[in-house]
Amino acid sequence: MLKTILGAAILFVLIAFTAYLAFHYAPVEKSMGIIQKIFYLHLPSALSSFVAFGVCFYANLMYVFKRQPKWDWLGVSAAEVGLAFISVVLVTGPIWAHPVWGIWWTWDARLTLTFVLWLLYISYLLLRSMLEEPDKRALFSALFGIFAFLDVPLVYFSIRWWRTQHPQPVILGGPGSGLDPRMRVSYLLVWAAFTGLLVLLLNGRYKLEALRASMEELRREAEVQ
Amino acid sequence: MTLLSNASALLGKELRTEFRSRELLPTTVVFIFIVIALFSITFHPTTSESQRLGPGLLWVAFLFAASLMLQPCFLREQNNDTLSALRLSVKDPFAIFFAKLAANTFFLLLTELLMLPFFAGFFNVHILSVFPQLVLVFFLGSLGIAIPGTAFSAISAQARMRELMLPLLLLPLLTPVLIASTEATAALLEPNPALPLAGLGILIAFDIVFLTALWLFGEYLLEE
Amino acid sequence: MKNLDSVLAAYLAGWAIFFLYYVSIARRMNALREEIERLKSSLHRSK
Repeated sequence: MLKTILGAAILFVLIAFTAYLAFHYAPVEKSMGIIQKIFYLHLPSALSSFVAFGVCFYANLMYVFKRQPKWDWLGVSAAEVGLAFISVVLVTGPIWAHPVWGIWWTWDARLTLTFVLWLLYISYLLLRSMLEEPDKRALFSALFGIFAFLDVPLVYFSIRWWRTQHPQPVILGGPGSGLDPRMRVSYLLVWAAFTGLLVLLLNGRYKLEALRASMEELRREAEVQ
Repeated sequence: MTLLSNASALLGKELRTEFRSRELLPTTVVFIFIVIALFSITFHPTTSESQRLGPGLLWVAFLFAASLMLQPCFLREQNNDTLSALRLSVKDPFAIFFAKLAANTFFLLLTELLMLPFFAGFFNVHILSVFPQLVLVFFLGSLGIAIPGTAFSAISAQARMRELMLPLLLLPLLTPVLIASTEATAALLEPNPALPLAGLGILIAFDIVFLTALWLFGEYLLEE
Repeated sequence: MKNLDSVLAAYLAGWAIFFLYYVSIARRMNALREEIERLKSSLHRSK
């Protein structure tokens, strides 16, 4: 119970810190105005989700070759946490896009990739819920996870090629172009905070999965009797 | 090479099973025909709309049909309890997958080519002048569908709700195939058709990546 | 200020997702702990 409160406290501190950086420390961007501040939430979430999915891929590989349950626990934790981060990306993106582009959504390379990733890891979690036996669940979801991750560059390049066939809205003044040093510091510090958030959530979810494994073992013991 | 001889023997078995039972091909052909007809009825496209929407609708129809057609691939083995016998019959488990995906690609391609004249009719497009190039696109696309499709058929056979799980796993993953095949087909159906090299490149890359993945991880997919 | 409500909406929605996810983990943890206690006591009784 204390640990939960401690975790929530850390979460609040991270939120307060990033909000301070985004709204107080970083200057207002010239061309876009205040709406650019959404990027301080949007970009680090995207980066953190990629890290999470990378961890998931690694854990999937490790499980297939080593068959130790801890890799399965890490895999599902990373997938779920990654899904949380990428959901934030998919929600904050359109909120930014509507005033700036005038549209909520378009199928350019990045958006399509984000969307497909979201679908793939939802499928990953759904597959797990449809596989009852723990060993089978771990193995087959790991195998699907590996295939899913390999798809990522292919999705990106297929849309990028398609994009040269159809005109797409141009991304106005991308955040990488000529950054004010305070903005650069803000981005870096926010990303550091998000990495902390990633570790916090990953750790919590991993412990949950480990606890679930011991519960299932206890249940099997109880059924034998 | 043992792998090839094993695979071709198994491929022979797959083809014989289908030509004896005749369950898969006729049903899949009729299904795609119905889907294409329904698209045509619903959208009632003009000639220029057909140019734009036609290839996409065609490939969406192919994807839906493949999701159904790939179900029995491993389900049949599981229902008849032949999977362990199959695994024991070959040294390299990849031979099993190679045979199955060759069979699946063949069935998919055959179905697609049978549908092509009806598609041309419903959507008023000219296919004869670019027929060989279309066959190439269809072949690479079908291979792209069959490779992960065969792998996921093995996975979904182990899961509950398997009829829904297979499309759920497969369709998001096939986004590159859908896009590349649609655009390549569209490029060939234009008034001045051009060979869509980038699209073909993406399809070839996709096929190589997932064929390699299947080769590396196939044996684990067969574990019971 | 123009677009301020969009910025606030984005931040509220984003942080809500993280917070709700954290809460979901905590809840599932509690449910598991209760289940483990229940199983342990039933095993204890049957021994």
